Amino acid sequence: MQININNKSYPAHEGETVLDVARKNGIYIPTLCYHAKTGQSAKCRACIVSVEGMRGFQTSCNLKVKDGMSVLTETKEVKDSQRMVVDLMLSSGHHNCLACERSGTCELQDACYHLGVEKTSFSDHPTGIKDESSEFIVIDYDKCIKCGRCVAGCNHSVVNEVLGFGFRGLETTIMCDDDIPMGDSTCVQCGECVQLCPTGALTDKKSRGKGRFAELKKVDTTCPYCGVGCQLTLHVDHEKNKVVRVTGREVWPNNGMLCVKGRYGFEFHASPKRLQYPLIKRNGKHERASWDEALDFIAERIKASVGEHGPDVFSALGSGRITNENNYAIQKFTRAVIKTNNIDHCARTCHAPTVAGLAHAFGSGAATNSIDEILETELIFVIGSNMTEAHPVVSYYVKRAAQNGAKLIVCDPRRVDIAHWSDLYVQLRVGTDVPFLNGLMNEILKNGWQDEEFMKNNTENPEEIKNWLKDFTIEQASEISGVPVETMKQVAKMLGEAKKVSILYTLGITEHICGTDNVKTLANLQMILGHLGKRGCGVNPLRGQNNVQGACDMGALPNVFHNYQSATNEKAIEKMEKDWGVSGLSRKEGYKLPTMLHKATTGGTKILFCVGDNTVQTEPNTAKTIKEIEALDFLVVVDIFPNMTTEYADVILPDVCFNEDEGTYSNLDRRVQFLRKAVDAPGEARPTWWIMQELGKRFDVDLKFTSANAAWEDMRRTGTIMGGITYDRIQHIGLQWPCPTVQHPGTPILHLNGKFTRGKGLFSQTNYRHQAELPDAEYPFILSTGRRLWHYHTATQTRNSIGLENIFPEELLEISPFDAKIMNVKTGDMVKATSRRGTITLKAWVTDRSPAGVTWCAFHFHEAHANILTNDAYDDVTETPEYKACAIQIEKVSDGIAVVERGFRQARP
Amino acid sequence: MAKVQKCSCGNDEEGLIERLEEIITSFKEKPGALIPVLQATQSLFGYIPQEAILKISEILNEPLSKVYGVITFYSFFSLKPRGKYLIRVCLGTACYVQGANEVLTALKQQLSLEIGETSPDKLFTLDVGRCFGACGLAPIIMVNDDVHQWVKPSDVKKILGTYKKQKGVNQGEVK
Ligand code: SF4
Ligand code: SF4
Ligand code: SF4
Ligand code: FES
Ligand code: FES
Repeated sequence: MQININNKSYPAHEGETVLDVARKNGIYIPTLCYHAKTGQSAKCRACIVSVEGMRGFQTSCNLKVKDGMSVLTETKEVKDSQRMVVDLMLSSGHHNCLACERSGTCELQDACYHLGVEKTSFSDHPTGIKDESSEFIVIDYDKCIKCGRCVAGCNHSVVNEVLGFGFRGLETTIMCDDDIPMGDSTCVQCGECVQLCPTGALTDKKSRGKGRFAELKKVDTTCPYCGVGCQLTLHVDHEKNKVVRVTGREVWPNNGMLCVKGRYGFEFHASPKRLQYPLIKRNGKHERASWDEALDFIAERIKASVGEHGPDVFSALGSGRITNENNYAIQKFTRAVIKTNNIDHCARTCHAPTVAGLAHAFGSGAATNSIDEILETELIFVIGSNMTEAHPVVSYYVKRAAQNGAKLIVCDPRRVDIAHWSDLYVQLRVGTDVPFLNGLMNEILKNGWQDEEFMKNNTENPEEIKNWLKDFTIEQASEISGVPVETMKQVAKMLGEAKKVSILYTLGITEHICGTDNVKTLANLQMILGHLGKRGCGVNPLRGQNNVQGACDMGALPNVFHNYQSATNEKAIEKMEKDWGVSGLSRKEGYKLPTMLHKATTGGTKILFCVGDNTVQTEPNTAKTIKEIEALDFLVVVDIFPNMTTEYADVILPDVCFNEDEGTYSNLDRRVQFLRKAVDAPGEARPTWWIMQELGKRFDVDLKFTSANAAWEDMRRTGTIMGGITYDRIQHIGLQWPCPTVQHPGTPILHLNGKFTRGKGLFSQTNYRHQAELPDAEYPFILSTGRRLWHYHTATQTRNSIGLENIFPEELLEISPFDAKIMNVKTGDMVKATSRRGTITLKAWVTDRSPAGVTWCAFHFHEAHANILTNDAYDDVTETPEYKACAIQIEKVSDGIAVVERGFRQARP
Repeated sequence: MAKVQKCSCGNDEEGLIERLEEIITSFKEKPGALIPVLQATQSLFGYIPQEAILKISEILNEPLSKVYGVITFYSFFSLKPRGKYLIRVCLGTACYVQGANEVLTALKQQLSLEIGETSPDKLFTLDVGRCFGACGLAPIIMVNDDVHQWVKPSDVKKILGTYKKQKGVNQGEVK
């Protein structure tokens, strides 16, 4: 259809608004309350236009086009009315652009500029009221025009449900919770409200005075924290070589939303604590060395050791935190230069059971569906995932889906915050996932809720599993898992009756001695229900780190080359030998991370080349890890900060961080996303691909890494599922693998229509095994571990960024109110937690997130981290440690200052 | 968190909070429960104590800001304890022009109260409003549901007197 604007004809489409058409054609109409994300609220009336045949003025932001409609946006009457609106808005607060952070991107300023309003013709009403109580956000009430965008964003976009409007008439104001200071409220400082605010009413505290939007260079890139892979824009002060502000990009996967880490945890790149020069340990002290010195030394030590004992005394660790290119570089070096398959990375400590379990069942070990499909599903089944903290942006989608009517079931021993939004919270005992799920499937089959067609046509052994599950009665499952029979029946019914079910899980499933079995059982459930290979369904592991998916894809694993090509398959080996121009690649599977370490004490591992891992703090049973690390002949650590592991290193090499080189990360829905260089690396820090190239030369091998892109192209040549992904294609938005050719559009959904990668789906028979270390009289509590919203990994990034540490300054041991009462412990008291392996002293947080008998803490703070206590028991298939369950005792050390807790507060006391 | 005040009649609010919990829970599954629950709270306590706000938000699973937004939107709800008689002085344009402000001053003086305050004997709460929709009778004051029209500052004493008189009969009564 066509519509007329100011007597010119423009094409328009059904469903568009007049504003849409005007904007598309470069016609400016002032808008204030409208934002594409929060939708039409038609509140401010700044966007009024006159329409032929309609009385009065119409708000163009919610006026749908009709064929032949004739609109005027520039008449004197329209302009005068718009001016009056803006004038009144100016008068209802106090707007002085001179020192306003928003100047230059303020939509009110834009409106004034275009309408020629210099100041209000009424008197304005400064109150001087500001709320600076929160760590990252300033609320300047004088600049609030009550457009409601922040309220809509907080409640319907990120669904943190903090902001609201209070009072009425002239007194109407935005407020946090029941009108308390933002810093005391349930606000999680995600900054969505700041990003949506059209004026300077909500601004970033840390960026104040550090540069206005227009003066800063904008660099689009990918978040360096969790596996959601949010797209963001860095606002960079080039002269100072610093990022001063971060905003979310309104593209998939995050559509502008971020969490507190992504938006406010950016200063670490410029921290003076960064590693800047190669260091060699001489007489027990790390001394600065040149690159040549350091690399010569490393090469010499490797040659000597490998020469004497063979290549398998060398082990290398890639990382889920470094780029694809760098992971590829380290695997290629290890395999092609050293000729061993001893390459692994931290997926071993998190999602290795996912890769193994899902590959076994479906033929591909990654998330089957995409993040955005969460909004299309009918039932979301969350198990073992503290997503509001570990994958905040995924949780926004889940909460929004729930708000829009999808059912949400949350199963977790801890009452994690997402349970607050659920229809049904199911508290099962730690480590009882297999019997719980088997019981559910038994009930589903008993009632005929299974997808018989799907099982028959798309799976290999449907009858076998049906027989197997017959013995797992719901009563028995209830007894083991502690979930009442009635609740189990309800869950089974909801699962059985929903037309689309999406399973989301995280490390509560994988970090058990039965981790792979847990994953296989979830795969069984979805195959029985037939919820695979369709939109809004699937088995979706939320990968933890920014690039842990990519590190797997790049072959930083002991059994596969990049793109999961078997490292023990003769054909694949020959293919790689030919492409890499080397011979004699290892034919046997390499060591997994824990084996690499165990072998150190018996002399099987002599050299560990560790990139971005901080092994000492992240492996279970720290005392044991330290012994193993100390037993090594030679330890090289490549990292961006000194950490617990660099202390033991013979050579430390400074790495670049996420915004100092180009590259790619692959997020949790298999999307390969681009990273851009925004600032220069400090000192002599160099990318890992460069380090591997230079080391290769010392072994007379040219690895052909002249840039990150060269490393990517080197991978792509022999890549299979990523063969079609080039830097050019992912400049704007990432591509999801499999993407085998450069014409291929990428694959949002795996196993489409139930055509599994391995052909037919495979059911597995899984049985209950209790945790390796059960609580007893001496160690009566279960300790479970995980991640906090405010910190990441071993906190080198988050504690070297300003503010996050103020919000969450030290680790807390979460204890149930029931146990706390018995031990006379209050929030804030010092307690000592001891396992058979060590002791930490930290403050208690008494919270009903923990059920009786279960305690919880994270591994972020080296001063008191969970891994001193955790048990080095492993999943038998993948050697993933049982971080989620060990036994501890607790002793009160001293009273703390009483903390007043106030209702429900997210992610902190 | 503000401590819940003890009621002067000796009826302890702990018990009331428990009763409130029952009421909220009985409304839990019904759509649009918020306003009826707030009404029940208001008549139970005579106002809406902070502890009740937290409870309502928790049990109905409504964001705190929504609960608080509704409370502060309707003048029927009060966040502070109210006296037995709520005196509201209209300060709408018509009443203002007819001298409502002087009436208000007289009330303030005689009651020794500022706007929004309640007398120590819990008899009177002084408040203001905007246009009660009876401008022909301006200036107007309302005492609970009673309308007093064409009020002059000199009438204030008499008006207050009639309510004080009833005090003898009803003193200490809590609905
Ligand atoms: S920062 Fe996030 S949680 Fe806090 S008020 Fe803004 S939108 Fe809501
Ligand atoms: S703070 Fe900003 S977004 Fe929120 S209502 Fe005020 S002007 Fe609108
Ligand atoms: S959700 Fe994850 S990827 Fe997104 S901003 Fe937060 S840490 Fe970064
Ligand atoms: S932008 Fe259209 S009414 Fe506010
Ligand atoms: S102004 Fe007082 S009743 Fe209208």
